[in-house]
Amino acid sequence: MTSLRTDGLTKAFGGVRAVDGATVELLDGRINGLIGPNGSGKTTFFNIVTGMIRPDAGRVLYRDRDITRQPPHRIAHAGIGRTFQLCRVFPRLTVLENMLVAVRRTGLRELLAGLRDRGEVERARHWLRRMGIEHLEDAEARDLSYGQQKLLELAAVLMAEPDLVLLDEPAGGVNPALIDRITGLVRDLNAEGRTFLVVEHNMDMVMGMCDHVIVFDRGAPIAEGPPSVVREDPRVLEAYLGV
Amino acid sequence: MRIASRAFPLLIAALALGYPWLVPNYYLVYAGALTVMYAAMATSWNLLGGFTGYVSLGHSAFFGLGAYGTGLLVTRLDVPWAVALPVSAALVTALAAGVGVAAVRVRGASFVIVSIALVSMTNLVAQGWRSLTGGSSGLQVPSPFPGLHRGQTHMAFFYLFLALLALALLTWWYVSRSRFGAGLLAIREDEDKAESLGVPTAAYKVTAFALSALFVALAGGLYALWFGSLDPIFVFSILIGSNMVLMSLLGGVRHLYGPLLGALIVAPAGEYFLIALGETQIHLTATGLVLILVVLFMPDGILARFTRRRAGPSIPDRSAGERLHEVTP
Repeated sequence: MTSLRTDGLTKAFGGVRAVDGATVELLDGRINGLIGPNGSGKTTFFNIVTGMIRPDAGRVLYRDRDITRQPPHRIAHAGIGRTFQLCRVFPRLTVLENMLVAVRRTGLRELLAGLRDRGEVERARHWLRRMGIEHLEDAEARDLSYGQQKLLELAAVLMAEPDLVLLDEPAGGVNPALIDRITGLVRDLNAEGRTFLVVEHNMDMVMGMCDHVIVFDRGAPIAEGPPSVVREDPRVLEAYLGV
Repeated sequence: MRIASRAFPLLIAALALGYPWLVPNYYLVYAGALTVMYAAMATSWNLLGGFTGYVSLGHSAFFGLGAYGTGLLVTRLDVPWAVALPVSAALVTALAAGVGVAAVRVRGASFVIVSIALVSMTNLVAQGWRSLTGGSSGLQVPSPFPGLHRGQTHMAFFYLFLALLALALLTWWYVSRSRFGAGLLAIREDEDKAESLGVPTAAYKVTAFALSALFVALAGGLYALWFGSLDPIFVFSILIGSNMVLMSLLGGVRHLYGPLLGALIVAPAGEYFLIALGETQIHLTATGLVLILVVLFMPDGILARFTRRRAGPSIPDRSAGERLHEVTP
């Protein structure tokens, strides 16, 4: 089953076409890698899919539903979660409060519900435990180390129970032990049925973790396939190395 | 500690209830009523400012609209005051929701400017629309308690404002314990991030904006009934809004009682300056000076000094990566 499909997505900033007719299809249940040189449009692509940027042209379909130009919170409710390139948590909220921000649906009940709803708090603790940061639940997020913040960000995204998770450079700025930890987590979460799309520059991580790799250059995919095939593709080598 | 923190609000409440009988003259009852009115408005302002970080200097508009709405319903349509007050507040809240849809689209300094524009516009309309509002010659509103003398009227309104304050505090407390409140805080911290976690930020902000207008409009309506005379230049004055901001910042926007504490300091100080310095504009300079000092030296307010959250040293200073060896075999 198709998880995410984009048709001819295009977005220009001034005269620069950051994303240029990108047509991409992700299958359910896979870990997809999205790689490409700096400025090839990966993050802009993420931002369009999650509704943070409106495309000039093209469509985004999630499970065959058109979600183009929907506000980000609707896209989140549809089941797409994301992390940010520079890890973003709510610095002056506690770890537990960070977890309880996620909203899964709109409505008056959600609005009036108590913050310390027991079921929700239990769910939050479950995810914090899986990240190994449950002992920090009362700390303010700004007091966490960068690596801990990365884990918190991922945990908070998972609170919304997304079926598709977009990770923007999960290995950026963290130590090797934590990279292994995040890789293991992504594999486990994938085994539980979640689909991933991962933008990453750490090639070892991408090639070791992903089932399918899409290569972007100048705002559109130029190659895709299993890691072993993509690695040898002459177009990819050219885009990366300029040979 | 627990008992103390439970007993404290009760003690304050008892003091507040007894205040009109404890003070020697009716002037102090009047000053008390004014202070409680400001405390209610600042607490209401903080429903928006404290939670979302959107600083509105324009809440005078809701004060003035609430005042004129109540005054006009009573004088022009002969509506009983007890009906006019909530009806006017409901209308202002609905209007605030409409205005909010446009206003909260801009952030930071732009929002402040938009909120100031709101006061200027309502002021101009109230002054210009003479046939309805009486313009700058004012609107006279009959007293709801014609049987009471001046001092007793101050007393009655002291308790009405106190009830309003209790309502505003209760609302703030409820919001602070709700998922809605967590969403608003998330908006203050990082709006786009909140949106990506499924928080309908626009709807949340508009709701907070309207809710914070509600109690200010009620205060305005009570003010109209209390003073019995409305002048657009005063009730649509940006000073009323900036007072709410000053009180909230001084006391601490992150605390339930922050704006109340700020009002207890700023409102009596304002009255004192007015008496000591006379009906000049010098007391405004004093207010401005205090605002500058607060922003410079106590950006988180007085209460933040005493109720630091547990943080920093209590957290193990290790990265999650290092901790891995402990949690995973």
